[in-house]
Amino acid sequence: MEEPKKIPRDWEPDILAFACHYCAFAAADLAGVMRLSYAPNVKIIRLPCTGKLDYIYVLRAFEQGVDGVFCAG
Amino acid sequence: MDITANVNQQLEIQESKIENRKSKITKGAALIVGGGIGGMQAALDLGDSGFKVHMVQRDSSIGGTMVMLDKTFPTGDCSMCMISPKMVELGRHANIDVHTLAEVVSVEGEPGNYHVKIRQAPRFVDPDKCTGCGICEKKCPKLVTSVFEQGLTTRKAIYSLFAQAVPNTRVIDKDNCLFFQRGRCRACEKFCTSKAINFDDTEKNYELHVGAIILSPGLARYNPIKRQELGFGRFKNVITSLQFERILSASGPYMGTIKRPLDEKHPVKVAWIQCVGSRDPHRANPWCSSVCCMYATKQAVIAKEHDNHIHPTIFYMDMRAFGKDFDKYVDRAKNQYGVRYIRSMVSSVHEQARTGNLILRYSLENGQFMDEIFDMVILSIGFEPHEDVKAFAEQFGIELNTHGFAKTEQFTPIETSQPGIFVTGTFQGPKDIPETVTQGSAVAGKTMSMLSSARGTEVSVKPLPPETDVSGQEARIGVFVCHCGINIAQTVHIDQVVSAAKEMKNVVHAENMLYACAQDGQEKIKQIVKEKNLNRVIVASCTPRTHQPLFQETIRDAGLNKYLFELADIREQCSWCHMGQNEKATEKAIKIVNMVIAKARYFEPVHTASFNVTPSALVIGGGIAGMTAALSIADQGFSVHLVEKEKQLGGLVNKLYRTLDQSDVQSFLEKTIDAVEHHPKISVYKGVEVKKTDGFVGNFKTQLSNQTDIDHGVIVIAVGGEEYKPGEFSYGKHNRIIVQRELEKRLEKTAPESGAHYVMIQCVGSREESFNYCSRVCCQDAIKNAIMIKEKSPDAHVTILYRDIRTYGLREDYYKKARDLGVRFIRFEVDKKPEIDIESAKPKLKLFDYMLNREIEMTADYVVLSTGLRPHPSMEKISKLYKLTRNLDGFFLEAHVKLRPVDFPFEGVFLCGLAHAPKNLDETISQALAASGRAGVVLSHDKLSASGIISKHNKQICMSCLSCVRICPFDSPYIDETGKVCHNEVKCMGCGLCAAICPAKAFQVNNFKDDQILAMIDACAGLN
Repeated sequence: MEEPKKIPRDWEPDILAFACHYCAFAAADLAGVMRLSYAPNVKIIRLPCTGKLDYIYVLRAFEQGVDGVFCAG
Repeated sequence: MDITANVNQQLEIQESKIENRKSKITKGAALIVGGGIGGMQAALDLGDSGFKVHMVQRDSSIGGTMVMLDKTFPTGDCSMCMISPKMVELGRHANIDVHTLAEVVSVEGEPGNYHVKIRQAPRFVDPDKCTGCGICEKKCPKLVTSVFEQGLTTRKAIYSLFAQAVPNTRVIDKDNCLFFQRGRCRACEKFCTSKAINFDDTEKNYELHVGAIILSPGLARYNPIKRQELGFGRFKNVITSLQFERILSASGPYMGTIKRPLDEKHPVKVAWIQCVGSRDPHRANPWCSSVCCMYATKQAVIAKEHDNHIHPTIFYMDMRAFGKDFDKYVDRAKNQYGVRYIRSMVSSVHEQARTGNLILRYSLENGQFMDEIFDMVILSIGFEPHEDVKAFAEQFGIELNTHGFAKTEQFTPIETSQPGIFVTGTFQGPKDIPETVTQGSAVAGKTMSMLSSARGTEVSVKPLPPETDVSGQEARIGVFVCHCGINIAQTVHIDQVVSAAKEMKNVVHAENMLYACAQDGQEKIKQIVKEKNLNRVIVASCTPRTHQPLFQETIRDAGLNKYLFELADIREQCSWCHMGQNEKATEKAIKIVNMVIAKARYFEPVHTASFNVTPSALVIGGGIAGMTAALSIADQGFSVHLVEKEKQLGGLVNKLYRTLDQSDVQSFLEKTIDAVEHHPKISVYKGVEVKKTDGFVGNFKTQLSNQTDIDHGVIVIAVGGEEYKPGEFSYGKHNRIIVQRELEKRLEKTAPESGAHYVMIQCVGSREESFNYCSRVCCQDAIKNAIMIKEKSPDAHVTILYRDIRTYGLREDYYKKARDLGVRFIRFEVDKKPEIDIESAKPKLKLFDYMLNREIEMTADYVVLSTGLRPHPSMEKISKLYKLTRNLDGFFLEAHVKLRPVDFPFEGVFLCGLAHAPKNLDETISQALAASGRAGVVLSHDKLSASGIISKHNKQICMSCLSCVRICPFDSPYIDETGKVCHNEVKCMGCGLCAAICPAKAFQVNNFKDDQILAMIDACAGLN
């Protein structure tokens, strides 16, 4: 089995979020409108509904080196 | 004689007016006064069905009261999340003009033809130039107490009412602006890069020409400072329920954490005091505000969800959980959330020295005094008409009732005393959101009938250039990166984003723009599309939720299919939340743009199919709901097929004689039946049922049990309910034990027995398992009959045994009247029901009296059972036939309990009357009119087009495994005659559940196709 890599101190994960157009994506917008601050290492892909989240998307994200997947809806 | 002559004369005048109207102009436009949720619903329904709408709103944004709320009962849905998309839709609707900061000055004219003078206060910000960036607000030095946040926090002198305001243009509060008051500052002007600030803006006066007027001004709220003993205004930890609503809100003063104002400590013991300003004829308002019991319960539940340490207690008089699924919600609050309910009115609130805690004095039902300490007290304040309601009514020439609400009649609940002027929402009487929305659609339905001849005359369709065929072309992408003034540019290095975009494959053009959404920005985009022959366009700026349609229109004007556009959100989701981290924010913005470029490469034009609409309706159920809906749809000019399974029209109303206010139900029913049977557009089928049905919105086919085939565009389900036949309290075993309906019939024919004792028992067959819901009508039924007895034979005695008296809204007047007439009310608990002894000629009753704290006995001449309502047995069949879901109690479940109260999730099918839930006659009529309004929206279109964002089915690779058929909530995939899966795109809502579950990937959602999403994932991970 592959040894887990050591995590460097200043390491920050790359997070990909899948958000429902109607709720979580709107919530991400509201966070901006309210000028809430959070780390920039998260990118959002808008889906018409989180029901559209295909397991392939999650696997592909990890395969390509994304460190975490967040799904909200 | 004189009076009759006068009335006849008036009638003649009215008739001649109506005659005149026919020959005169009818304007296909409506004025809506008030921009709350009721007015918004009316505006959207009218705007969607070919009428021009002018919405006049006093505030700087539309939204009304609902936008102030955090969550809504009984589902706990976020209020803003529900109303915000509607506000956006309304704000950019081609047929709706929103006039904010405006009021009506005068009205002249008659139904069909009104001239309305409007006065609009200056905004001092030019909405055409303003981009909504908010830099002005940030730079404004003046802090002002925020009325929207109920005084809990401050705003600036240039401000937006709330974050999601529509229109999204700030307004200068002249009374607090330093420049206007002291002649210096102008900070907003200095920092506004789009030169939108205009200190020279002036008041505008203009005239609108409309055919109908809809009043939805909403209500004000009681100011509890008048109730000094409750300490509001003296003790900081005593707040109003609306203040608490803001405290709960994630965008409120404490960002959703529950703190008390005095010291911002987290409270543990929290008390709600009900009926503050309501049900109090001596010191406040006599009516019940209808919503406070439920919102207090909701606030207690939500507070508990926010912070599990909180112990909520609600002090109340009667728990008025009369609506659909409300009782279950209260039960859940009690049993799951541990909310403590105490039936008592708090007599005083004192502040404890040093701690700021509050000592509440109250007495238990048996008279014992209690002092209890709480950390925070919330006053459940009620509704009351606006202060200037009299002037408002005079302006429109409408009558008010004694309490200052718009005067309406039982059988015409949305019509004011002036024909052509309608009323919706709380101005008609206190009510909750779904009832307000229902009335919104109802006034729309009424207006459609009145102005039907002018439908489509005031709206225009914009001519569009032919679409360029881009199929087979390699992607030629244009990227426009917006500075948004400094909103994006101060955090994100725009030039870096532009040059990174230029490096990307297929990008043939990239540039920066100061404001992409401004007029010049849009023109530039159109010009570049043509010059560089672009076939995909990306704008990197703000959120697609509000701006996508604008840019889609722009590229459509340039001849491109609108689905070849995508927004990259680098403002809300990048620059605004990563301020001060410019390098990282720029990196993220580049990545977001790259992801969208990767997606856009795979974009294809989307063409939406359109189909014809059969302009006729099928109404199932010939009770008052069905007949009212049928009449209203027919008056709009569409043909109606009304199907009633009994031999006689009228349904349950056949057994009803009087309403609570003594209006004559039978003569109303007679008139309605007569109107239905003689209407040239209505075909009535009696003794007939629906046998088979097929089709979708606009194109239904139905076969009736008499073999008639009907083609129709919409369905209205009004199958009604039935009365519960009791088995309890020895009903049927003693001739002096009767039900309210039998009593009503007797009272209509003969006077009540002098000196007799009538004992009424409430909640028979309601509010306990297995029918744990309130039947809503029985309290009023009992009080109606009790008043009738006391008025006809004052020496007769009436005792009403009840659990909670639920005379909500203005019906409270009759509860008071009954008490004044000497009707006795004795409360019982569900686990200590009255016991009945039928051994003697007159039944004897025994029950526990909580006030006397002992058991009492009484002899009754008549025991009258207030029996509840049940769903109609035919509902099971109808629900299977149309695949409609029902709630636990068996009533049909609407598409959304708050904002789509008469729709089903299936388009083109609407719901009204008792089939939805128990309700009173006036509410049934409102709901039936609402169904007709919603039906009118569909039927007014010659053609409907399917949405662009839908799932597309590839039959070639489909294996017909049926996964999609099983998972689709809208029934759009189906099995065709060859036994293969087929897809009805008209029913598809584009959620993509089918696409995610399909093992063959035979379903793909337009603009969210797998190759597009996977390309985004790859781009996000750094691969291009």
